[in-house]
Amino acid sequence: MALGPLLVFILNVCSAVVAFLTSYYAYKFRHVADNPVLDSIAFGFMLLGVGLLIEAGTSAVVGQTLLQQFLSKILAVVETFAYLSLQMVAYLVFAVGYATLAWRRSSKAVVMGLVALVAAPRAVDVFGVYRYAVVSYFVVLVLLGFVVFQGALIHSRSPSRFSLLVLVAFLLIMAAHVVLLVSVVTLSEYLFLAGTAIQFLGFVSLFAFLLRSGRVGTG
Amino acid sequence: MGQAEKQRSPLRINLDILNAIQEMGDAKPTHILYKANLSHDRLVKYLDELGSKGLIEVHEEGENRTYRVTSKGVGFLIEMRRAESFVQGFGLAI
Repeated sequence: MALGPLLVFILNVCSAVVAFLTSYYAYKFRHVADNPVLDSIAFGFMLLGVGLLIEAGTSAVVGQTLLQQFLSKILAVVETFAYLSLQMVAYLVFAVGYATLAWRRSSKAVVMGLVALVAAPRAVDVFGVYRYAVVSYFVVLVLLGFVVFQGALIHSRSPSRFSLLVLVAFLLIMAAHVVLLVSVVTLSEYLFLAGTAIQFLGFVSLFAFLLRSGRVGTG
Repeated sequence: MGQAEKQRSPLRINLDILNAIQEMGDAKPTHILYKANLSHDRLVKYLDELGSKGLIEVHEEGENRTYRVTSKGVGFLIEMRRAESFVQGFGLAI
């Protein structure tokens, strides 16, 4: 396997493991906080984990990254639609979860902004596969912008090292999607690898959060 | 009953009581009452509940009654602290 697909495979498998771990803990602790946001986090990270595994699996089987598939015109339908769609739904679930939290805190103006975003994915059906990839990365970016905004609000209201690590994780994942969007638009393989690496760093921050929160109470 | 107490969930109150008892080792009811910020009637109700779940045990010497967190209670506290730090990361509270 070439270096590019191998890197994508390794980084995405590691990211998927962290996504599944986060989903598991959110599911495990959902009764404690009695809040639907934890259900959204559990479901969203599960979808994200599945999506990342699909992309990793396709990279390994086809021996090409998603971008190389565009370049060589071998558009793996499974990867393009399954991964990109799962990713889009996952971030939509996070955004809706945070919107519920915002609604409960009476930040209705923020929620109204989200309502406009929810309608956005419908428009992509009329485009081709490549354009679908561009649009889905863009939609994910907008959704992540909302999630990061909510995360920043949460952290500013009650700052803690835990909320900071989650905020940093979402910020890095958002930055990764800026790079991934540019890489898809410009068809730059290096940028695609860089975006995948930055996304992996976001999951590293999430893993640090899981480790630190897991250590609490044992000292 | 203060505003802060109104907003606390039953789980939060149980955790405040357990934390207060663990902090003091052998805790007298008056000390728990003060630390957990509860009325006497509510404290008795919560202590009975925690005792029935095996999370605390009562020691009686004459008229003195003290409470201690059991090993099961310590395990419960550790798990709840982990849960609390996890949900804190997403802006939630117990």
